[in-house]
Amino acid sequence: MDEKYSSILKSVQKPGRYSGGEYGQTIKDLSDGRVKARFAFCFPDTYEIGMSNLGVRILYGALNREEDIWCERAYAPWADMEEKMIEHDMPLCALESGDPLSMFDIVGFTLQYEMCYTNVLQMLKLAKIPLKSADRTNDQPIIIGGGPCSYNPEPLADFFDCFSIGEGEDMLVEFTKLLIEEKAKGNFDRQEFLHYAATKIKGLYVPSLYEVTYKEDGTIGSFGPIYPDVPKRVTKRIMKDMDKAYFPDKVVMPYIETVQDRIMLEVYRGCIRGCRFCQAGMIYRPVREKTPEVLCRQAKCLYENTGYDEISLSSLSISDYTEIEKLTTKLLEWTDDKKVNLSLPSLRVDSFTKELMEKIASVRSSSLTFAPEAGTQRLRDVINKNVREEDLFRAVGVAFDAGKTTVKLYFMNGLPTETADDLLGIPKLASDVVHQFYINPNRPKGKSPQVTISVACFVPKPFTPFQWERQDTVEELTEKNEYIYQNVTDRKVRYTHHDPKTSHIECVLARGDRRLCRALEEAANRGFHFDAWDEYFDYDKWVEVFEATGIDPAFYANRQWGFDEILPWDVIDCGVSKEFFRRERDRAYGEITTPSCREKCSGCGANKLGGERTCCPQA
Amino acid sequence: MLPAGMISKENPQPIRIKFKKVGNLQYISHLDLQRTFEKVIIRSGIPAWYTMGFNPHAKMVFGLPLSVGCQSVCEYLDIRITEYMTFNEIKARLKTALTDELDVIEVYEPQMKLTDIGAARYTLTFETRGACEDLADKAKALFEKPVAMEKKGKAGVKEIDITKMIKSLDCRYDPETDRIVIDTTVSAGQAETLNPEMIVTALREQLGFLSEDILTEHYSIMREEIYNLNGEAFR
Ligand code: SF4
Repeated sequence: MDEKYSSILKSVQKPGRYSGGEYGQTIKDLSDGRVKARFAFCFPDTYEIGMSNLGVRILYGALNREEDIWCERAYAPWADMEEKMIEHDMPLCALESGDPLSMFDIVGFTLQYEMCYTNVLQMLKLAKIPLKSADRTNDQPIIIGGGPCSYNPEPLADFFDCFSIGEGEDMLVEFTKLLIEEKAKGNFDRQEFLHYAATKIKGLYVPSLYEVTYKEDGTIGSFGPIYPDVPKRVTKRIMKDMDKAYFPDKVVMPYIETVQDRIMLEVYRGCIRGCRFCQAGMIYRPVREKTPEVLCRQAKCLYENTGYDEISLSSLSISDYTEIEKLTTKLLEWTDDKKVNLSLPSLRVDSFTKELMEKIASVRSSSLTFAPEAGTQRLRDVINKNVREEDLFRAVGVAFDAGKTTVKLYFMNGLPTETADDLLGIPKLASDVVHQFYINPNRPKGKSPQVTISVACFVPKPFTPFQWERQDTVEELTEKNEYIYQNVTDRKVRYTHHDPKTSHIECVLARGDRRLCRALEEAANRGFHFDAWDEYFDYDKWVEVFEATGIDPAFYANRQWGFDEILPWDVIDCGVSKEFFRRERDRAYGEITTPSCREKCSGCGANKLGGERTCCPQA
Repeated sequence: MLPAGMISKENPQPIRIKFKKVGNLQYISHLDLQRTFEKVIIRSGIPAWYTMGFNPHAKMVFGLPLSVGCQSVCEYLDIRITEYMTFNEIKARLKTALTDELDVIEVYEPQMKLTDIGAARYTLTFETRGACEDLADKAKALFEKPVAMEKKGKAGVKEIDITKMIKSLDCRYDPETDRIVIDTTVSAGQAETLNPEMIVTALREQLGFLSEDILTEHYSIMREEIYNLNGEAFR
């Protein structure tokens, strides 16, 4: 960091967020001309959250592996720092070189959740890069987006020059190399380049090359490319063989404490379950596993290069990994000796066993979390969450046997077909878990149980069987929360819930089309930021922004969408077919569950993408 | 050092690591530094002695903690090793596990106890409006009389005369860099410690240092050397 900013750094909270200088960062020499493209990888939230993202760790390494690319990092400055930056006209800079983002060739944003969109715009403003793609000149950076939210990129269409759809390890490198080639030819024209790239690079979506018209009722009338050589639909990219996919052998080591301050070992991609509300379970299909040998080698190498003493096995539902037994045994062969702990971010109730618990230190030490998601078996069948009450009771039994007293249960309200009975089922299930404690002969004596229920609001997401569903209004969700609260009578049960207002805005942004850009631009002009943080999210201000820009949020959130409507995200092909989603939606309403991909293929279409060590039939 | 064959888990060899913490690392707190060194010790592969228990970690004792915003070329960390390894080898391994701004200077067998630390010498450099010889003289004169300042402690705020803890203080104007440079030795250690930031605050409050523009005016503090209670260079 430049010396002239030292007084500013001394005056903000946690200056370690901005100072850089971490062990493991990549510094390249710009003087010998070998670096041909500079890439600023931005995470639109705090340093602590951004540094914890596995995707960023992978892509940072994958880009820097290329001699002619230098990838650096940038994060959203916290409000105190942002204020100082504005006051002193300090541009947003990358951590490694301290150079302003505006002088980079490419500025990439990873879009992990909708509520970070205002931070993206705030960062562009601080970087003094024009917000809109159309206003940028040839010598300004190309702005590219990626990550789960880019599966419906439309609400950000005006701001981004392009999006990387799907897994970026190969794609971002190809894209950057193409930019290097085109810039070397001279007379670089960004719009020409974007057009060319859209025809050359698979998985690249350039919103400015598509035209959208609307019907009188506000739904989309047509959506298609302006030029014949631009793909009508952009198919996501995947890494076919995860054993061969690039995996970083080092990590940028934060000095300050971050959210995931540990080794994250990606065991497999995708998920064999088909929970009907879960976007991640659909867009990351098909499942592709790594072998225990490769995982073990990667873990050991990371341990030696980082010094982390904890390895988190991070995948969507880790116990679905076919070789979990072999992997944990193989890891424990050396981790025990080195005093390295294994931890798990997620665990399915039906596979929670004593054996696994004994191997996993984090489960040993902390309170346990299970996600039944719905209060009755009927509704769990609707959402295809294949967890039965018996499974839950058996799992908490294991925990109580081991001396645990606290259990956390995650639920959702506002799910399709939900009735008052389903809502009542939430506190009832929690009380039943309390009861399980008292009837357990091995329970810790002299202690009482504590069961916390945490209720989130259902947000219908693109690329799920529930993508067409109406979201309950804020008022309906608030009433439901209140109803659950009134029915929590057990003193051993604690109840917490999410804010329906945040979930409403999240839904609008998740299902929005490009008309929402004007609302987001207005939000940026009004200085919105950190909307994922309670202390900065202000619902009334969002309502004002929608009013001022003529956007009806209910059109996006609280409307039952037509099955034959053109969806804003139809331009993206995530591998899973719309027919599958439709079928799954009908099965949901018929209360029929769908088996996991390992039990039986349900023909979602994702097998057309290919993949090694998957459970899909060959396409 | 103990004879190679005698170093073991039961009989570990104490090792002192002298390191620097400069540049961007000045913004990292003492607590974060401790967490960082836990990982540094692991990735360096030094056979460090571990505490037992539920959450085992390398046993580390740091010398004088350094406050955020202060740089240093004389930090000390004591560990113990359970297998023979030369000081040069330890130093080389640490170097690969550290960066330019947090780097090992020397590794040796401790000569003095960390609890015997009594004083520290600092250089304070100011880039402040109106820096000149005259201002430097005024700054030096300021500390020749008692300077009463509020100090927050466990028992609330109390008034102290900071000059009681200043053992020496020299101040000059450097025309080449247009900076005011203070060279001072102050109490540091278990009995009493003067945070050099107090000197900065006194200059701010009484002589208007650094009061005009946060972008062009700044200061830096460098801890140059540590002494024991007898005033000898710490080893
Ligand atoms: S193709 Fe079949 S097995 Fe593969 S992800 Fe789709 S449903 Fe599952």
